[in-house]
Amino acid sequence: MNVLKDIYRYREMVRSLVKRDLQGRYKNSALGFLWTFLNPLFQLCVYSFLFTVIIPMPIEKYYIHLFVVLVPWIFFSTCMTAGARVVLDQQDMVKKIYFPRTVLPIAFTLSQLVNMLLSMLVILVIVVVSGHGINLVALLALPGLVLLQFLVCLAIVLIVSAVTVYLRDMEMILGVVAFALMYAAPVIYAESYIPEKLRGLYYCNPMAGILSGYRSVFYYKELPDVSILISPILFGTIGVVLGFLAFGRMQRHFVEQM
Amino acid sequence: MQDWNVIEVNHVAKSFKIYTDKGHTLKERAISLKRNRYQTREVLKDINFQVKRGDSLGLIGHNGCGKSTLLKMLTKIMYPDKGSIEIRGRVSSLLELGAGFHPDLSGRENIYINASIFGMTRKEIDERLQTIIDFADLGDYIDNPVRTYSSGMYMRLAFSVAINVDADVLIVDEILAVGDVNFQRKCLKKMNELQEQGVTIVLVSHSMEQITSVCNQCVWIQDGVVVDAGETGRVTERYLAFMEEQAGAEHVAETVRKKECIGTIDQAQLLANGAEGKYIFTPQDELELRFHYTGPDTGVVCFLVDITREDFVTCLIKDYTNDEKGYPGKEGFVTIKLGKLPLISGRYFMNLKIIIKDTDDWAAQVSPLFSFDMYAPGKHGGVLYVEPICEVRTTGDQ
Repeated sequence: MNVLKDIYRYREMVRSLVKRDLQGRYKNSALGFLWTFLNPLFQLCVYSFLFTVIIPMPIEKYYIHLFVVLVPWIFFSTCMTAGARVVLDQQDMVKKIYFPRTVLPIAFTLSQLVNMLLSMLVILVIVVVSGHGINLVALLALPGLVLLQFLVCLAIVLIVSAVTVYLRDMEMILGVVAFALMYAAPVIYAESYIPEKLRGLYYCNPMAGILSGYRSVFYYKELPDVSILISPILFGTIGVVLGFLAFGRMQRHFVEQM
Repeated sequence: MQDWNVIEVNHVAKSFKIYTDKGHTLKERAISLKRNRYQTREVLKDINFQVKRGDSLGLIGHNGCGKSTLLKMLTKIMYPDKGSIEIRGRVSSLLELGAGFHPDLSGRENIYINASIFGMTRKEIDERLQTIIDFADLGDYIDNPVRTYSSGMYMRLAFSVAINVDADVLIVDEILAVGDVNFQRKCLKKMNELQEQGVTIVLVSHSMEQITSVCNQCVWIQDGVVVDAGETGRVTERYLAFMEEQAGAEHVAETVRKKECIGTIDQAQLLANGAEGKYIFTPQDELELRFHYTGPDTGVVCFLVDITREDFVTCLIKDYTNDEKGYPGKEGFVTIKLGKLPLISGRYFMNLKIIIKDTDDWAAQVSPLFSFDMYAPGKHGGVLYVEPICEVRTTGDQ
């Protein structure tokens, strides 16, 4: 409870760190904020070319099928890889000044969330312009999905950022894990490709459920199946609680480890 | 926690593991077990003290006694292994200035970031923005990116934020190394203002002058325990007396012989009341300088003694010429009775030059010949230590 009170008191710090991250990151690049959109768009082009021209997938409007999950996937994988360095990168600050350390992972996850939401606007534009259309009822599930994914991501950032302070390998390990996880989640292929009997296991991966959810909303234009969201709900809630506890324990010795 | 206390430190202990060569990665840890060898060093053993509301505390102790570790625990950057530290209210520290500054953002934007790191809300920052900007005195630069600032401007902005965050407890480590003299004066004034408003200041400094001018309470830490705590005057006096015993070697004169020097200065002694080996003086001590010199074989020489304070304020320049005749140029033993030096507390350096008379050339020089500390009880500013007696009579009196 004290943790929450502390974070609330430092809400302005969270806000300004998010702002600094969003404003500062592209300050001196020519294309500036556009990079937020360009990065997923480039990935979209590469994968679309690969899976419609070279290895054609029998999926209609593959680029939409892919893009609606690629954007949330990038949010997730950034949290895993870049999230590991969140505390370590701010060691000058951590070593010299007090603030609730949880502010760092929270601010990072929030700024990644903002990035994803902005990219989602591009998704909306694409589905409308391409004539694919939007189902407003299905869209109602979107805030829930975004919240779930935020919780899952926050839990992961809390844990990996704290562990990385003690074990610098974490960052490399996570790079590999994120790469593998991409294929364990329905990013470049459709959920239906997974054999029926493996599907239960498949959906234990919280990101599989969340990505399928996004795909239902935008691509199939229907409300997501609740059963696939059980894992993300459990993972998100329990994960965040455990994440705060673990982070709270590990942060006591951050300074000595830097 | 007692009602009247602002800070309570109870039985605090902290030790560090000193790895001979720490492995941070799995590979390093697995391959070389040697890297996991460490020694435990107890920095703080059992620290206890309280600070009452309205008091200001000075922390003193020699280098490596654990003052900085204690400060880090007071600011919750580190946690004690044992014991507890309780602080009432918001803590601001001048340990790391400019935390979280982003070089590409403007001074104004950075104020918001920096102040928010101290736990201020947007509304609070808005209220204080003008005060912060005025105090930093940056003029139009406030809207330029921080990377275009000079280091002095950068520190001024950072200091201004830290000191204006409306803290209940302000923790300061070796202040006033920032900015020019004017800014330093402004900072001291601000700190006194804050004290009057009831802010508790915890100051770490090696300068007894700063400690006595800011703090009324003092804690002396040595080898991880509190040696003495209480009223500043008494604690600093004991501390200085102790340091005096330890000092010895540090103050021994070194003869700098430059190539162009034809003479030498050696066997230098600085005596207080006829005794040698003490380098902490009070304004009551009778000082005497003795040395031996060799100079050019021909001609005559005179001596120039000057005393400079640590902050480069020249306090005394004295030319000894022997009534314009000069002294023998070849060599000699010299005794200069300096008498009482009415100087305020602080560290001073004594320099000596042997000048060939009626020329600008010097035969030998040593600077500094000695470094010494003055200890003058009470609060003083400026250079001179005087004890004026003030009497007031009203018109009704006879």
